[in-house]
Order: sequence, then structure tokens, then C-alpha cells
Amino acid sequence: MSSWRDKPTELLLASGGVLVVVYFLVPRGNAQSVIYDVIGVTSAVLIAVGMRRNAPSLRAPWLLFALGNLFFAVADIIFNIIVNPPVPSVADAFYLAGYPLLVLALLLLLFAAGGHRRIAALGDAAIVTSGFVLLQWVFVLDGIIDMPGLGAGERAVTAAYPLMDIVLLAGLAGFFVTAAWRTPAFLLLVTSIVFLLIADEAYGVGPNSYRSGDWVDAGWLLSYLLWAATALHPSMRELSSPAHRPQRRLNVGSGRIAMLMGALLAPAAVLLIQSLRGVGAPVAAVVAASAVISVMVVLRLVGILRALERIRTRERLARADSEQAQRLLEAQNVRLLEADRMKDEFVALISHDLRTPLTSIMGYVELSLDEKLGDDARSFLEVVSRSSNRLLRLVDDLLFVARLQSGRLDLTPSRLDLNEVARQAAEEARGRADAKDLELVVDANGPVPVDADRGRVFQLLDNLISNAVKFTPDGGTIEIRVRANGDACLEVCDTGIGFTAAEAARVFERFYRTDRAVERQVPGTGLGLFIAAAIADAHGGRISAHPREGGGAVFKVELPLAK
Amino acid sequence: MSDIVLVADDDDDILLLVTTRLTRDGYDIVSARNGVEALALAQEHRPRVAVLDVGMPGLDGIEVLAAIRADAELKRTRVLLLTAKAQESDVRRGYEAGADAYVKKPFSPAELADRVRDLYELGGG
Repeated sequence: MSSWRDKPTELLLASGGVLVVVYFLVPRGNAQSVIYDVIGVTSAVLIAVGMRRNAPSLRAPWLLFALGNLFFAVADIIFNIIVNPPVPSVADAFYLAGYPLLVLALLLLLFAAGGHRRIAALGDAAIVTSGFVLLQWVFVLDGIIDMPGLGAGERAVTAAYPLMDIVLLAGLAGFFVTAAWRTPAFLLLVTSIVFLLIADEAYGVGPNSYRSGDWVDAGWLLSYLLWAATALHPSMRELSSPAHRPQRRLNVGSGRIAMLMGALLAPAAVLLIQSLRGVGAPVAAVVAASAVISVMVVLRLVGILRALERIRTRERLARADSEQAQRLLEAQNVRLLEADRMKDEFVALISHDLRTPLTSIMGYVELSLDEKLGDDARSFLEVVSRSSNRLLRLVDDLLFVARLQSGRLDLTPSRLDLNEVARQAAEEARGRADAKDLELVVDANGPVPVDADRGRVFQLLDNLISNAVKFTPDGGTIEIRVRANGDACLEVCDTGIGFTAAEAARVFERFYRTDRAVERQVPGTGLGLFIAAAIADAHGGRISAHPREGGGAVFKVELPLAK
Repeated sequence: MSDIVLVADDDDDILLLVTTRLTRDGYDIVSARNGVEALALAQEHRPRVAVLDVGMPGLDGIEVLAAIRADAELKRTRVLLLTAKAQESDVRRGYEAGADAYVKKPFSPAELADRVRDLYELGGG
């Protein structure tokens, strides 16, 4: 919705209003006429100025408005100079030429806003216009035609005014039902035309009794003023842009019903008024108008009923669609739950059925290694032992990932010293490091408290340290640094085969293995770092990988420090 | 209270593995292959230590443990649970039922023997 506030428009309305008051205060005569003519000409000029100021996409209607009002103003001047000239005069030519220009402009705005496609709304406008035609005919035109002592020319010109008002009202009605609703410019324009029509009608009922300076002039003066205000107000730009009202909405407000009812009752009202006045009933006009209005109202009602039917059908279809979608969703949900259950069963199966035979294999290998064995047999059994350890680790990793994916990673946090867990994880790897002649250093001083699940944090550190042992060639160095600076920080640095900066971003992906790891056939599944990252994440921490200067890798873990 | 160690597991291979390892350490062993048998042996021999597999058909390890804890004559029997389930919740359930120790499968026989020795020494007191 556009704002009403606009300095130039406010200034115009205020000064124009003062001028209209002054007009009625000064005595009839030339001074008064000059004020009237100044208002008229200024209005025409200001419409052009407003068009330049607001630069609407469609300029033609505004040029026509300016020209139409200018014609009226010129006619006013002529009317004042000649002082109530005989009909027909040059003034009439200008007055009558003004109306078509204004109506044309209204039609242009209507088309620009796409109003010509809104048949139902136009039907309402036609019904109202028909009612107006009947009233205009019975109360104004009929009198002019029957008026005694008028020449043909005078009669034609006098009759042309009410006809022009019909055309203008039709234009207004069409514009009214289609244009951009409730913008200030819209309301200003509608009010302006209504003032013009009221003044015209007041004049038309008794043209011969009119004198310059009558109260009727207020209607015309305010019409000038508001027309200029319309063009000055910035919201005038929206009048020619397509109306964004919902297309398929059934719009039968009480206003519309009242309007249709009024049109239907107009013929009856005319009959009543004429009978009260004791004048003969204009049968032909009333019958014709009744027929036209009734047919149009019935057509409009049929249109409304059909639209209702369409809406109901659409709703029915939509409801059927949504019910079907709902059923589909429920079926899918059942299938998903079933799949989830099967996965859980599978996980439990792996957990139990792989662990039980592994328990036998690993247990008996250990028992056998306690026996007296030949060198070959001992080394073979050591291979079995290493392999079964790897298999166990793989089973554990897969189980962990499965649990992670079904959101069942339970953490049992307690207060830990990260330092102590790091030392323990390093001790666990010491044997493997010694076997490769690796230097394994823990650089830590002072406790680094964290609230975390001990088993999981141990698993995280063990994964990092085991990786370092695995990827570092014999004789290398592994350093574990633990610090408390804002966060609990732990770094595992090695002098291993490392990775590229591009690979660093991907090492935490599930099943990802670097090219170098694959090339050198370093055993692994690509799950260790994924699990490490998941554990860090579950504790509200971070993990990152960086290539180390001079070769090797740095893994950095940050966990929230316990308060 | 005898000096006997009760071992119960429904898997023959693992039952043999455990009994073999514990026999090497010189314990007197009675073994059972299901929960009902294990409970009957426990009541008969009043063992110092019971090594119970959790996942046995019929009475499972935790149910046997509960029955042992409910028996006043067995209140000094130390119980070690063996399980193939790695979930933390199972461990918690075991301790809540009154287990003295918990060993996850697969286990190192030497490590299991260490735990049994700890419990055995406690049970004597």
C-alpha cells in the first residue's frame, strides 16, 4: 500500500482548498471568474507537471487527462468572456470534446492494468451503468427531448451533456472495478470524477437556472483540484501497472450484492418516483432497462455460481490429492521404520555373530602362542593374531558408523584430564611405535580438564595416534601436544607420508583414502578419521588436518574446556 | 564357600577356551552350557567366582546373576559377565544387576584370567 504522505500533493490540496473557499467569498464578477479559470488552467498544467515528476510507464492517459482538463478550462474562459452564451457556443465544443479524452484515458489505464480480462468485474460496471442510463434518460434526457421551444442544434448540444456523463460514468465504473485499489492516486481520481459527475448532474437538472458562482461550481473546482493532485501523487505510477489481485478468487462482497440489487431495483424506483410526481410512467424505457439489467444480473449470478462450482471441484480434487499423498507418506513411513528395524537387527547380528567366532580365533591364538612352538608356526600365528585384530577393529568401526547414522551414539560424559587420556593412548601405541623404531613424544604439562565420554575420547586419540604410527616410515617421530588455551587443544604431528592441502579437506569423509595411502598399500578402511571427527563433533568440538612443513601431517583437535 | 570357579557359556569353543585358560592357573572349574544349569551348579557348589556369558538361551547371564544375588547363601560369590554386545546400556544393565566385573568379547584370555584372579582374591575375604 502506498503512503499518503507527499509534500507537493499536500501543498496543492491545501492551497487549492483555500482558493476554492476564496472563490465563494469574493463577490460574483470578473475577479471570481479569474479565480475559477486560474484553478482550471493550473490543474491542466499540474497534470502535465505530475506526469513529468512521476514518470509513469504509460504517459498517454496523463497527457489525455491534461488535455481534457485543459479543454474544460478553455471552455470555462470562453463561457466567462461571453457570459452565459447561447447554446450551442464555442464553449460547448470545448466542453464536449473534453469528455471523450478523459474517458479514453480511463480506458487506457484499465487496459494497462489488465482490467479488460476481468469480465465479471466489467459486467458489474455495465450493470451499474445501465441503471444510471435509465435514471439519466428518465430524469434528464427525456425532459430535454420534450422541452418546448428548443432549436435542433440547441436540443442536440443540451442532450449531449447527459450522454457524455453516461460515457464518463461507464469509464469510471470500468476503472473503479479494475484499477489498483486503495492507492492514494486511485481514490483521488475516483473522487475527482465523482465530483465532476455530481456537478454535471446538478447542472443538468436545471441548466437554465445556473449562474456563475453557484454552489455547483464547487464540484467542478474540486474535480480540477483532485485531478491535479492525482497526477502529482507518486502512487499514480501504480494505476497503469497490472493489478496483482488473486485471479481465481470469488469476489462477492456485500458491496457488490448491494450494487447489483440497486441496479435491479432502479426501474421499480423510477416507476415509483414518477408515479409520486404524478408524471406518466416511461414504460418503454423502464421495460428496456429492466430487461437489460435483469439479463445482465442473471448472467452475473450464473457466472458466480459457475465459479463457485469450479472452486468446489478444485477443492475436491486437491483434497483427494492430499489424501493420496498422505496415504503414500504413511506407507513410506512404515517401510522406513521396517528398514530401520532391519538395520538394527543387522547391526545386532554383526555385533554378536562376528564377535563370537572372533573371540574363539583370538583367544585360541593367544593360548597357542603360550605353548612351545616352532619359529614358523609362531610367526604364522602372529599373522593370524594381527589379522584378527584388524578384523575386530573393522567390525567395531562399522558398528560405530551404523550407530552414528541411526543417531544412537550415546555419550556418558565425565570430568577427564585430556592430558592423562593422551598419555594412556600413547602408551597403548608404544609397542607398535617401538616395532617401527618411531620416537613417540607426549608434550604436556598441567591438567587439561574436559567433560567428555572417556571411552570415546580415548577412541578418538587412539585413531589419530594409530594413524600416525601407520603412516610414518621407520625411524620417524610422532609428537602429541596437549594445551589449554581457551579450548582444550590436542595436536598429533608426525613425519609420515602426509597429504596435499586439497586432500586435507577430505580426509574426514567416510571411506576416503588419500592417493599416497592407496599407492603405498597402507592398510585401512577410511573410517578412522571419519569416526574421530564424529566423536569431536558429538562433544561440541572440532578436528582439522594440516600438511606439516617438511613433510608429514598435523591433526588438531579442539574440545570445550571444562569450567 | 568353595574355591570353585563356575564358567557358563552356550558356545562350546568359548567355554573350552575359558576353562582351559583358567585351569592353567590352577582353579577348580565347573562349567555349564546354559543359564538353568549354571544356576543349579551355583547353588550346588557355591563357587567363589562365576564367569557368566550374558547371551545364553533360557536364563541369560543377567537373570542367573539376579538369581545368585537373591540367594543368601551365594552372597559372597563374585560374578564376572561376558558379553558380545558392546552397547554402553548393556554394561550399565549388568552393573545394575550386581555384576562385579564385565568383560567384552572378544577378550584376551590372559586379561580375563587377571580379572578372575582379582575377583577370586576378593571372594576369599
